[in-house]
Amino acid sequence: MEGHQRNLYLYERFNARVAGVSRDDVTTLKYWADDLGLTFPLLSNVSGWLGIIFDVLPGNQPVFDRRTVIIDKNGIVRYVRDGSPDYKDILLFLKKLNSGEITP
Amino acid sequence: MRITYVAISLVAALLLPFGQAAGQAQKSDTHEHDSAAIVRNADGTITYGGEYRFVPPPSPWELIPGNESSRFVFGFYRKDPGKVQLESTFFAYDEEPYGYSLNIEDRSREFLKRFFWDSFVKVTVLEKKKVSVLGAEGLALTLEGKDPVAGQKVRSKVIFGKRGARVVAFYIRQWRLIDNNYDLSAFETFDRFVASLRFVHKSFYEEL
Repeated sequence: MEGHQRNLYLYERFNARVAGVSRDDVTTLKYWADDLGLTFPLLSNVSGWLGIIFDVLPGNQPVFDRRTVIIDKNGIVRYVRDGSPDYKDILLFLKKLNSGEITP
Repeated sequence: MRITYVAISLVAALLLPFGQAAGQAQKSDTHEHDSAAIVRNADGTITYGGEYRFVPPPSPWELIPGNESSRFVFGFYRKDPGKVQLESTFFAYDEEPYGYSLNIEDRSREFLKRFFWDSFVKVTVLEKKKVSVLGAEGLALTLEGKDPVAGQKVRSKVIFGKRGARVVAFYIRQWRLIDNNYDLSAFETFDRFVASLRFVHKSFYEEL
């Protein structure tokens, strides 16, 4: 998450916004965001329905799997990567998406 | 037109499902370099990973390549005289130091919140001063941490500089048993390394 905070000025350049989604409650996320100094939205989804939508809800576990999803301005999912975010890969993808190099 | 501009300006949104906030470690930006990609130049410098050129410290300093889970691009380690493995010195170049701010002063405060956070030492800033680093003004902090329960202490120096818009850092840590003396000559070796480092080309972020 700190890596995304570091890259906010670059996301701005590429007309992208970032949000995190977790099953933690709001109080936990607020504490965590304050501690790390995160300024982008963290969404609390305790019930986990967003995990079903993004296919990151492992059975019998109270947490989401890690996944990075990029959604374009038309609401189309354009990028999905599992595991810890590859920040440079994300930035390169956003640059191409913003410049129109990647089209549906 | 203004409304249309706003609508098309939001090209993409990243959504990041993640696990329990406090329970999962974060991956740092990739620091992977092929350790074999070390070129020794005629002038005595080394070119590391095709990107960094510097004067290496003499033996017995050992080059430690960074990887995706390390908090440095590369560093140098030396086991110091002493009965325990703890007594050692390590210094490194870190391209993504803890924190996020692009301002050096702000970044240094963010950095200190997490540097040594897993070491149980109480850290004191012994000195803070402006320095010249990487061809511009930077900031140097000299730190000492002590753990009287474990009988350990550490002396450290962190130098923050800029590479393009982003803050980078050099740091050295020297651990000792609490009654033993530091070897300050290692800090002079560190300073010479810092002064010698040059970038062979622009960074990923500068070229993006």
